[in-house]
Amino acid sequence: MIELKGVTRRFGEAVAVDNIDLTIETGEVCVLVGSSGCGKSTTLRMINRLLPRTSGEILVDGEDINKADPEALRLNMGYAIQSTGLFPHWTVARNIGVVPTLLKWPAQKRDERVTELLALLGLDPETDARKYPHQLSGGQAQRVGVARALAGDPNILLMDEPFGALDAITRENLQQEMLRIQRQLNKTTVFVTHDIDEALKLASRIAVMDQGRIIQHDTPEAILRRPASAFVENLIGKGDRGLKLLALRTVSDLMERHPEPRYSEPGSDSLNESDSLRIALSMMLWTNTERLAVLDATGAEVGIVNREQLLKVGA
Amino acid sequence: MPSSTGLPNRVIPVLALAAFVLVWLLNLGVVQPNRIVAGAGYGLFGATGWLGAGIVSSLLFVAVVLATKPIRNRFWVLSFLLTAALMSLPLLLEVFALRKLPADSAYARIGIGAGFWCLAFFLALMLLETLSQLKASRRLQLSVVLLVAAGWWLCAAREGLSSLSLIREYANRADQFSQALTVHLSLSLGAVAISAVLAFGLALAMVRRERLRRPLLGLVSFMQTIPSLALFGLLIAPLGALSAAFPALQALGIRGIGWAPALLALIAYSLLPMVRNTYVALMEVPEPVVDAGRGMGMSERQVFLQVKLPLALPVIIEGVRITTIQAIGLTAVAALIGAGGFGTFIFQGLGQAAMDLVLLGALPTVFLALAADAILSALKFQETPR
Repeated sequence: MIELKGVTRRFGEAVAVDNIDLTIETGEVCVLVGSSGCGKSTTLRMINRLLPRTSGEILVDGEDINKADPEALRLNMGYAIQSTGLFPHWTVARNIGVVPTLLKWPAQKRDERVTELLALLGLDPETDARKYPHQLSGGQAQRVGVARALAGDPNILLMDEPFGALDAITRENLQQEMLRIQRQLNKTTVFVTHDIDEALKLASRIAVMDQGRIIQHDTPEAILRRPASAFVENLIGKGDRGLKLLALRTVSDLMERHPEPRYSEPGSDSLNESDSLRIALSMMLWTNTERLAVLDATGAEVGIVNREQLLKVGA
Repeated sequence: MPSSTGLPNRVIPVLALAAFVLVWLLNLGVVQPNRIVAGAGYGLFGATGWLGAGIVSSLLFVAVVLATKPIRNRFWVLSFLLTAALMSLPLLLEVFALRKLPADSAYARIGIGAGFWCLAFFLALMLLETLSQLKASRRLQLSVVLLVAAGWWLCAAREGLSSLSLIREYANRADQFSQALTVHLSLSLGAVAISAVLAFGLALAMVRRERLRRPLLGLVSFMQTIPSLALFGLLIAPLGALSAAFPALQALGIRGIGWAPALLALIAYSLLPMVRNTYVALMEVPEPVVDAGRGMGMSERQVFLQVKLPLALPVIIEGVRITTIQAIGLTAVAALIGAGGFGTFIFQGLGQAAMDLVLLGALPTVFLALAADAILSALKFQETPR
């Protein structure tokens, strides 16, 4: 658990972070979202003491972080940044192994961990491990960046716009990977982004920041349904709020489940269990149908979604 | 084999043509009655007769043919041919000495003419172009250079070339030559080593304290602007006074003239390129990389030793390379204030109007600079992050 109590950070006269209180529960993904200069990166960098705070208190599992040795503190917090910050003179394997090396793990344990992480992030442990960062694509480099952050098996993960510089498709892929990895590992994560869609997708709770303050700290659904101010309303966009709400839930939440899986006609219009309700609605509009079959990963029909119910949820 | 090797090469024919014209127009060598009188020049034909002129001309002709016709493995053949030609080039002078040197005169000697230098220069350029066409590895390039050097060494040791003026000057001063080599190397490399340590400290101070950057860079740039001769001269008076005041310094050999002012001046000149490159190299390590290092939990020391320094090293080595070449050249000038080294031969030769004595000082200086360049370039290449 991370607790920020009355934390302020000034750069000279300017106030970057203004007396914020924020509690991040163990295992949850807290996304700090806001426009550039709102203090979200500054807040993140105060948690691992890359920036000292001007006043206030930051506690990790009840302990004031200023009492710990900064290097020891950071070794227990994975750190991934937008420009990856991979060491260009080291191979991918050595880059990922940096924290285990700093923690003085035995070489064999470290190498096993590197191989494990390469596989977890969808990289080839044979060929990619020996590459240098400049030989990687932007998406691959960012995967290595995330693997490096996870390598020391830290309790806490700090991510500063890690997917900000990627193209839309690669970013989408990496967000999916993040969700999958988070379901597996359950790390307490602080994630900074300026992209509200990324925030809605990844967060268990979102903290909206503006001018150094936290305007609203709540679940994605609550933020969409009850924006605290005009600023938040603008940020989430008034026009497609309903669609964003639908995007938060998957088809499997809503479908009428069949008592047992049925055989489905190949090629007919259907949804997957993991598709969002937004996709379900879009598909219904496109095919002009009231009901759509839902398939599981094996292709068997496991349920039905109907339009009337779907529209009720969105309201 | 790459497709480009099938096309006619334009560079080698042009070089071969230039070599052909110059070697026929200019004097290949000179016969001097003694070491000071200018003597009579001989062209390629006059110096080496039909045989020598024929071999040189047909070699250049074969090079043009090989470069332009699509013959298999032609660049390999060409590089072999050119290396062999360069290795045995001094034999031309031996033939010349055999034919034209008066047998009855003990002081007569032969000098090297412009034609010979031009031929050597253009053959070397052709070899360079051939090696780049072959995309030769560093190891192959180095072995070619060593082969040519060994060829010249073996030729110089032959009895037939003992009448070569350059070799006579060397024979008269063999002891002084090896002493000059020692002094030249220890002065220039010593200055580079000391200024490298100083420059590293200064650059680190500048990185830590931004305020120091302008005054420090200003100071080392200012030292670079003083003409070298003036700096050598300017140091004589204060060092002379110092050693007069402290006999202990005198016992160490520190006097107004000699190695002490030379070393100080060389260090002063070496500081600018070294400080500037080290500073720029350390400052240009990308900020996100340093940030990531810290964020991962590296200590400042680990960030410096494992991230900043390795990334800065190629540029720092480049600074050392520039400085070393510059120091080897400047050490020759330091002979004027009695520091010794190859400059001694140059200034003696100038004083006695004996050009081959000047060459005896100048050629090894150039060779040392080229060797330093090659070694440090190779080191830099090895350290550059792939």
